[in-house]
Amino acid sequence: MLPELSREEILRYSRHLLIPEVGLEGQRKLKNSSALIVGTGGLGSPVALYLAAAGVGRIGLVDYDVVELSNLQRQVIHGTSTIGKLKVDSAKEKLQDLNPDIQIDIYNEPFTSANALRIAKDYDVLIDGTDNFPTRYLTNDVCVFLGKPNIYGSIFRFDGQLSVFYAKEGPCYRCLFPEPPPPGLIPSCAEGGVLGILPGTIGTLQATEALKVLLGIGEPMIGKLLLYNALDMSFDFVNLKKNPKCRVCGPNADIKELIDYEEFCGVPGHDHGVDGSAGAGLDIPALDLKNRLSPAGNSKLILLDVREPHELQISALPNAINIPLGQLAARLTELDSADDMVVFCKAGTRSARALELLVSAGFKKVKNLKGGINAWAMDVDQSLPIY
Amino acid sequence: MAIVRFPALMKFYVDNQSEFSVTGSTVKELLDNLVVRYPTLKTHLFDSNGSLRRYFNIFVNGVHIRELNGMDSPLNENDKIILMASAAGG
Repeated sequence: MLPELSREEILRYSRHLLIPEVGLEGQRKLKNSSALIVGTGGLGSPVALYLAAAGVGRIGLVDYDVVELSNLQRQVIHGTSTIGKLKVDSAKEKLQDLNPDIQIDIYNEPFTSANALRIAKDYDVLIDGTDNFPTRYLTNDVCVFLGKPNIYGSIFRFDGQLSVFYAKEGPCYRCLFPEPPPPGLIPSCAEGGVLGILPGTIGTLQATEALKVLLGIGEPMIGKLLLYNALDMSFDFVNLKKNPKCRVCGPNADIKELIDYEEFCGVPGHDHGVDGSAGAGLDIPALDLKNRLSPAGNSKLILLDVREPHELQISALPNAINIPLGQLAARLTELDSADDMVVFCKAGTRSARALELLVSAGFKKVKNLKGGINAWAMDVDQSLPIY
Repeated sequence: MAIVRFPALMKFYVDNQSEFSVTGSTVKELLDNLVVRYPTLKTHLFDSNGSLRRYFNIFVNGVHIRELNGMDSPLNENDKIILMASAAGG
């Protein structure tokens, strides 16, 4: 039995009730349905706002972060007044104002193998709005094991991806990506940036797919993937089929329960960088670098900045050589492997990758500025901005 | 020549272009020619055994090469090749 709509709800949703594909019955279906949004950031913001406005009866929000100033360029569910608050509290407040007739359940905890099945089991769909590979693989596997659709979206700079992974009827995320990229290869939005509107575009498409799935209307993006580019305003659609070798949903699947996703991906399950470290013995803290560069520090020290040239306009260290990470392999001849060298980037992730490349090319006296130029701005030169 | 489309994550290695033409009668030939033009791509696309890395997907006219003939999938003039990498941002 679907729940009835109150007089107020009939008025609130009148524009839906006018559409034959939704109508009164569809709106009652939405009232009876539930969606779990994993991540209340760039993608999660528009998804939550539109699903709440649309009248999805129960919305779950999973996030353990607090609202920061640098979120507000794209995470429109939060605001300047909620900086420092838990994202789930900030989001719940906004959603309840938008639609007091729905239930908002918040989970102020990381989504992990230990809690994911418990949290997800009573929801009709999951929406992947996470910002890291471990949580994406976890969300996928949870959906496969519980037989639920995974409304997938991801973003980077001007590019977005959208699909509905539903192993009962089509491929899952692992069918497309059997393995994650090596740690550090694919920059996160924190490292590589993202157009603030992009999660709005992809997130509203995710919300659209979620509504279609919940209402059982139209053709959800099962077995299809959208590749969107905002600069070209191009929408490329490709077809996806189940991968017969898929380890979670294939006929010979060998992954039967949730695994350790951080170990599988080799990175932590959050987007705060890999703490900007290159590993044991390869880092130099900002304060130590300051001492090395002081007149008493004597020896010749090369500073290698592996950021993109446009980032140097935000902050820079004097006398540093700039070779962007992507060009480093081709430009090694510009460097002397006998030199003492400190490599840096914004936060230490790209420079850690550069260090691997330099060490494998025979450079022996190289160190990674731990935490990047942002750590330098925090610990040594407060006149530099942190970005 | 086939037209190859690059994800933002990789534009960086191909002079910031998002799309350009590359010759090759198969996907493998096309990738080999691509790597000749942009040598830094090689380690990103292929592992030490020369196999395409598993976090890349290649589509020819919207169809995954897994559904065609893999790296030996034949290419025709003006075929649209999409190289796709996983992205985690959200």
